[in-house]
Amino acid sequence: MVRSKLLFAVAVVLGSSAMILGTVPAARAADPPKCEPDKLAAKYPGLAGKKIIIGQDGESPPYSFRDPKDFNTIIGADADMVRAAFKCIGGQFEFKLGGWSGLLPAVIAGQADVMWDNLYFTTERAKQVDYVVYMIAGTGALVKKGNPKKITGMDSTCGLTATAGLGTVEEAAFRDQSEKCKAAGKAVINIMTYPDIPAGTRLIQNDRADILLSDLAMVDQLSANNPTVFERGFKVISDFKIGVAMKKGNEDLLKAIADALTVLQADGTQKKIYEQYKLDPALILPIAIQR
Amino acid sequence: MKGRLALFIGPLCLVLFLLGCDNRSGGQGGATLSQLAGGGSPVGEGQAGWLGELLSYVVLPFLLEGALLAVQISALAMVGGVFLGLGLALMRLSSHAPIRAAAWIYIWFVRGTPQLLQLVFLYDALPGIGIKLDTFTTAVIGFALNEAAFSAEIIRGGILSVNRNQTVAAASLGMGSLLALRRIILPQAMRAILPGMANDTIGMIKGTSIASVIFVNELTFRSQQIVGQNFKFFTVFAAAGIIYLILTSAISLAQTALERRFNHELEPSAGGASSWKRFLGWGSSWLPGRVAAKAALPAAVGASPVLAASRPETAAERSAHGLLWRKHLLAANAQEADEEGRPFVVCYNVCKSYGGREVLRNLDLTVKRGEVVTIIGPSGSGKSTLLRLINHLEHVDWGDIKVDGQYVGYEKDGATMRPIRDLAKARADARIGMVFQHFNLFNHLTAVQNISEAPVQVYREDPKKAHKLALSLLASVGLGRHADHLPHRLSGGQQQRVAIARALAISPRLMLFDEPTSALDAELVGEVLAVIRRLAETGMTMIVVTHEIRFAREVADRVVFMDEGSIVEQGTPAEVLDNPKEERTQRFLRMVEREETVADA
Repeated sequence: MVRSKLLFAVAVVLGSSAMILGTVPAARAADPPKCEPDKLAAKYPGLAGKKIIIGQDGESPPYSFRDPKDFNTIIGADADMVRAAFKCIGGQFEFKLGGWSGLLPAVIAGQADVMWDNLYFTTERAKQVDYVVYMIAGTGALVKKGNPKKITGMDSTCGLTATAGLGTVEEAAFRDQSEKCKAAGKAVINIMTYPDIPAGTRLIQNDRADILLSDLAMVDQLSANNPTVFERGFKVISDFKIGVAMKKGNEDLLKAIADALTVLQADGTQKKIYEQYKLDPALILPIAIQR
Repeated sequence: MKGRLALFIGPLCLVLFLLGCDNRSGGQGGATLSQLAGGGSPVGEGQAGWLGELLSYVVLPFLLEGALLAVQISALAMVGGVFLGLGLALMRLSSHAPIRAAAWIYIWFVRGTPQLLQLVFLYDALPGIGIKLDTFTTAVIGFALNEAAFSAEIIRGGILSVNRNQTVAAASLGMGSLLALRRIILPQAMRAILPGMANDTIGMIKGTSIASVIFVNELTFRSQQIVGQNFKFFTVFAAAGIIYLILTSAISLAQTALERRFNHELEPSAGGASSWKRFLGWGSSWLPGRVAAKAALPAAVGASPVLAASRPETAAERSAHGLLWRKHLLAANAQEADEEGRPFVVCYNVCKSYGGREVLRNLDLTVKRGEVVTIIGPSGSGKSTLLRLINHLEHVDWGDIKVDGQYVGYEKDGATMRPIRDLAKARADARIGMVFQHFNLFNHLTAVQNISEAPVQVYREDPKKAHKLALSLLASVGLGRHADHLPHRLSGGQQQRVAIARALAISPRLMLFDEPTSALDAELVGEVLAVIRRLAETGMTMIVVTHEIRFAREVADRVVFMDEGSIVEQGTPAEVLDNPKEERTQRFLRMVEREETVADA
């Protein structure tokens, strides 16, 4: 899921200097990392006595959303991973909830320390933030129950009405496909964009659009929760990586999160959490720091 | 009929739509509200189900906390925004170009850029220069700065909607510009300002939702989070809508109440029941005139017996009353009695132009203490301008004007007169009363408040004493029973008499009348002239610009005929009016005579 780049672009203009792009495998010392919350100050001196602010949006199930039993609690695959990671790191953290598009600018400005909310890795973003990647992005197509337009892949969307989040890679994918349809002498795709995913699902529900393209897990959960209304038309596993982002220069924080995630991946916690939220464990990516 | 039908059909459609939606989404999975509420009462199928769900969202503390946050941010931002906006509005109205430009640029920039970007800038760019504001503070400051730009224009519009003659009248009473703004202009501007402000407040309460990009978890963002989690957009958003509607209804009610408060066409409720009494025609105003006048008389005798007397006076009475008059209203210059006849107003070589057009050229005029001078002449001869120069409502270009040996708000710099900074105080100290052609009463104040305003606000007199004086002055101009009436309830003649009483309340040493009867219907002229005539009999120094030749003949010690910015001829009424030497005077008098004959016929 990639949302509006507008604010991000603003942040780029306002923000710090560009830095070199590069991929470095998670630092592995002689020994594999361990959970030693007591040794926080010794292992990551930069984090000692500091409360880490985690930016999430709280409206993106199954990654970050309000607990139906208690609206004051944030749950979801990303939220639970944060808790598990900080249990491993030691030290304090706090969720700060805001509109998704405001999260990355806040991290770059220092108003939040970490954006941990289903953020795709792009080279553009990596000029400002460092990532710890942990997952591969999957894309799912949400269609009306019974798949009345028989949509089985991108090539069967010519001439249809399609919807995707404004400024997302999914929107771009539809535009690409539309050009292909045109080149092949078929009708173009009528593309509608939505501001948030519930708004998009209403387009499908009310027959205003034939296909919605979004994050695979979201599409799966939507069709699982509304089996009489929706179903999944098709899925695509993309090559987009998803990671935790923090401002460049926070080496201790970067290392701490990378270490913790490495442990959580190795001991099966990540898989357990993903299964709990019906995320496909096949999407799990070996932990790596990416700059 | 049509309107009523629409009123009925509107909600019906909404209800039907809600029902339809509920049926469609009824089988949807995810958490039901009974689960959300942690068990609670079992929610049945159908109508009761969605209605109960809707209502339980309306009272959900999670959403109400978001609403409270929106209200807190809006309230603080509105207060800050309105004060900043007032400042910007005044800057926009300033006579200094750089100040105007600064305000204009601020408003241009803030109105012209998206508020979302302003908030993100405050929140995410200021940390770059070491200013790290928290979410709530950023939202309050961001919305206040934005509101300032919009409210500045609303307030400026309100100020401009108040007639300029209100400012002029306030200045003539010695009120400084800030005092006039606070007491006279803004209260009247409020009527024009309030609807726009209520719009802005409502817009802001709803608009706080854009602050979710800077982590403000207000109502819309919270409802989106619930929808993001259970996809029951209709009940959740409808509940949010109801909460917003309740909040905005409260603002609408406040708007109505405030508009009533600042509606100067409604009689003020001096004391609860009295406004109702007035409304129903009871109370003092209902009393037949004579009874009320009698009731008011004793008070009038105490303060200004001369004006209260209605029968013609003997010469002895006149001088006795003249002394009494001075004792009560001219307390500031008790020594004057023996100075009668000495020059009081001296205009020497006065020049004034407006945009290159000469209005007064090298005019000389001397008015002695206790003298009544009437100025006659065709329109555009500079008569009114001369009066406005004497009490320094406008600056002279060249020449000298002294009142009682003093410059009014000038300092002499070589040959030129330079206006001093505290002009209002100079005007107040000069105690020059002025009566305008169009009365210029303060529209939002009752007759008695109009009169006591300057004594209390400018001369810092005891409000009770000033009120008593105002009542007796009103009685003396024959309006004792109209004390609590607003100007719009009074006839033109009555308004002008209130205006005279208002000018007298500052204990003037000089009275200026600028065509006091020109705006009146013929049958109302007499009552105003009678008051001026009685005032003249007290020995007050007066300059009266008038078109009433008969009146001039009767009341004036000296008549001045002006044409094209200079004095053509002056002398006793017998000299100027009956045996004019100058051809221009003769021509003017013939013309006026013809008009009067026509009017009489």
